[in-house]
Amino acid sequence: MTRTLSKFLALLFTFAMIAAACGSDSSPDDATTDTTEDGGGGDDDGGSDVTTGDVDDDDTVVEADDETERSYGGSIAVGLEAEAVGLRPWEDACSSPCYNIFVTIYDKLMEQTIDGTYEGWLAEDITPSDDFTIWTMNLRPGVTFHNGVELTAQTIADMFPIQQEGSQSSSQIAASNLAGVEATGDLEVTYTLSQPNSAFPAFLSRVQLGAVFEPAAAAADLDGFSNEPVGTGPFVIESRDLDNETVVVRNGNYWGVDPQGNQLPFLDQISFRPIPDEGTRLDALLSGTVEAMQTLRQGTIRDARAAVEDGEDLTLLEFQGNNVGGGQFNVLVPPFDDVRVRRGLTQMNSQENVIDALGGTGISLPGTQWYSPDSVWYSQKVADAWPQFDFEAGSATLQEYIDDPERSDGKAPGEPIDVELSCPPDPTLIAAMQVIEQTWSATGNVNVNLTNYDQQTHINYALGAENGFVGEHGAHCWRWSDDNDPSVGINPFLAPPTPEIAEAAGIPDIVSPLNFSNWFNAEAFGAAVAATQTDNFEERYALYEQIQLAIAEEVPIWYSGHTATMIGTVSNMQGLNGWHLPNGTVGIGFTNAEGRWAEVWLN
Amino acid sequence: MTALDAQTDSISITDDDAPAERQGSTPIERPKRATPLQVFREMPIVIKLSTIWLLLVFGGAIYAKIDTVLLNDALPLQNPNLQTNNFNPATGEFGDGEPNESWSSAHWLGTDTIARDTFARIVHGAWVSLIIAMVSAGFGVVVGGFFGSLVGFVRGRTETVTMAAMDVILAFPALILLLAMVSIFEVRSLTVIALVIGFLSIPAYTRVARAGSLAVSQREFVLAARAIGTKPMKILFREVIPNVLPTVLSYAMVAGAFVIVVEGSLSFLGLSVQLPTATWGNMINQARGNLKVNFAQVFWPSMALVLTVLSLNSVGDWLQKRAAHRGSAL
Repeated sequence: MTRTLSKFLALLFTFAMIAAACGSDSSPDDATTDTTEDGGGGDDDGGSDVTTGDVDDDDTVVEADDETERSYGGSIAVGLEAEAVGLRPWEDACSSPCYNIFVTIYDKLMEQTIDGTYEGWLAEDITPSDDFTIWTMNLRPGVTFHNGVELTAQTIADMFPIQQEGSQSSSQIAASNLAGVEATGDLEVTYTLSQPNSAFPAFLSRVQLGAVFEPAAAAADLDGFSNEPVGTGPFVIESRDLDNETVVVRNGNYWGVDPQGNQLPFLDQISFRPIPDEGTRLDALLSGTVEAMQTLRQGTIRDARAAVEDGEDLTLLEFQGNNVGGGQFNVLVPPFDDVRVRRGLTQMNSQENVIDALGGTGISLPGTQWYSPDSVWYSQKVADAWPQFDFEAGSATLQEYIDDPERSDGKAPGEPIDVELSCPPDPTLIAAMQVIEQTWSATGNVNVNLTNYDQQTHINYALGAENGFVGEHGAHCWRWSDDNDPSVGINPFLAPPTPEIAEAAGIPDIVSPLNFSNWFNAEAFGAAVAATQTDNFEERYALYEQIQLAIAEEVPIWYSGHTATMIGTVSNMQGLNGWHLPNGTVGIGFTNAEGRWAEVWLN
Repeated sequence: MTALDAQTDSISITDDDAPAERQGSTPIERPKRATPLQVFREMPIVIKLSTIWLLLVFGGAIYAKIDTVLLNDALPLQNPNLQTNNFNPATGEFGDGEPNESWSSAHWLGTDTIARDTFARIVHGAWVSLIIAMVSAGFGVVVGGFFGSLVGFVRGRTETVTMAAMDVILAFPALILLLAMVSIFEVRSLTVIALVIGFLSIPAYTRVARAGSLAVSQREFVLAARAIGTKPMKILFREVIPNVLPTVLSYAMVAGAFVIVVEGSLSFLGLSVQLPTATWGNMINQARGNLKVNFAQVFWPSMALVLTVLSLNSVGDWLQKRAAHRGSAL
């Protein structure tokens, strides 16, 4: 009798829950708000939006508050989207969440300014030779590592052998053409490149090559350095509990000061906590469990905006960067080796609906190239050339291939093509791939097979280390570009993907496993190389425009939207927006939700 | 006729190999089998509600499949994969329907993040749950039930080896084994998923059937059958299995609830049937990134899952009690 009663109560409770759900269904219109006047986040401020309290007004540039008096002390917790697997700049793979930790422990040689140029951080200056093969850098004096060792030119030279062996640094060494590092004075370092590279300072602004670590401590314990890193940064590692918390504390001997002459940093302690689930991370901020959180997901930005609109007292630092999502075709695999297929499928891809599925409506700008409309490298000509959504035209283009007796996939004329569309198993990506699947399948000419693999498997399939770097992918979700100098990302993308292609192109020594789409266009690659041999902006702009036009013509990749990123903080946290370089120039801001925490203080 | 003979006859053993004079004995009349309606009337209110829900799920799943496969979406149930409501496959144009709509007369349970009708997806998702539950139950009952009955009856080395093998499979964490097997079979069709889950169900059914078989094999009517020289396989199929079957079948209801949850877990991890096929698990997975905007899209498939599992457990539990009651009356 008791069991029957308890089952009855369980069912009653269940039906009560249903009734409650019927009554509490909220309208999405109430929760989702476009807070940017242009409806897409585009503006003229370097891609950054600051939202505080009332979401309708503050749409500002990255700009430091130079008026308010800073206060010292206090500690904060920062929610990150993933754990940093290790803290060795030369070895451990790192993306935006872990860069937040790296910049507290390490200083980099160069940093990017709000204008996109590169200026010294630990370097005071850097000068190229006329042909951009020799770069001479002078280091800042009076800098010491956390263990008391002084930073000298020899330190940088001693780092180089370790970097050459590191999985992360070695690829950057190859990409930058760096051949040797020599201490040519107490504080003077000379970099020798095998090929000209006018964008070499950009590589010194990246953690892999630019983060300065104490080489003797690293050499003494290469593995242990991962958990006990020694840098010159504003904070010192205090403890590291993997997958739980990494704590850094104030470096009392830090060399840096802010433009007002205040000794940096202001905070006593920062605790970085990996919180992989997007909703949980935002809830942690809303509940006060953390004082800041970062995200690269439009859906989370949307929810954070809604929370602010509902009265939550938060500051949202958004950045609309160059990074653009979408997918790539493996052009070495039929039917994607035929441009008619690539162009047809791209034209049948409704960008607007894909962005909507990603939760990015009103947040993410549609992509047409590697640069967002806010970037100095953006080209309207390329935007006009990009094959926009035109279902009829795309279907007709694909039909040409379908009806071709010589079609590359070996099927009979009239038979549909087979497409494996694969994305990592993120809910928003799953939604987006189903939107694409619907339009592609609608023609009756495309059999779409949707697959999801975890992030690492997804990357490995595209890398294809086991099949000569051809890869095992067909149509593959991917991201491109960043806010660095264009050469950093695009040269590996354009270089010959296999030894055979390199041999055929007459450049047998240049093979790039990072050319994931396997698309090789000799003229585009030539333009990319030429762009590293001049520092004239107009010349370089024209070369990168030429490359982007070639991509729009041959469509080895497709775009969804530019990635909007955000750091959300409690409103009494100041100084994250508008950090400064040592010479007082305002830094680039918070690209890819990467904060610079030295100038942060609690008001 | 001895007392043992009378008891054996009362449960209608009809042994063709028995002497002719014993064939002529008058059996005690078996009580009339209750009709389904009578059984339904006997049910407590909770079991009635659960049965009604299960019939709705079953009927909905069949209805959805007939609509899709036989009638080309002619029945009044929306296409579960059609997005943005008015997507026109001929032009590729999307209509004016909105994602994350609240409930309305057009969309009883609203729409999901890419504007698909949630009610239609839940009904179609029931088909996956139904097939998974039925195939695994079928696999378990036929294979596990047979092996369990067999080894409980014959005992000896066959039992030792078989149960050791089952213990090995049982000892391995089921979900991890399932993930590994699903990963090996890269084609994630409903058949493959159902067969893999069905295979993993076999040990549990074997154990249940063996326990029943051990008990039944010691009952007087089995001993009597042995005593009169009936062939062992005939005893197994005519005396043991029919008496073990009610227990195994009622266990199948409870196990079916478990495998529906397992399939939901697989779907949630993106390892069940391929997209865009709707399953309750992948509906929950796809809606979880959208909780703050559209909680209902997690709630409804979760409710369907909870109610179905609860109902299967309740009905299975009740059937087990009925089977036990009948067994004790033998």
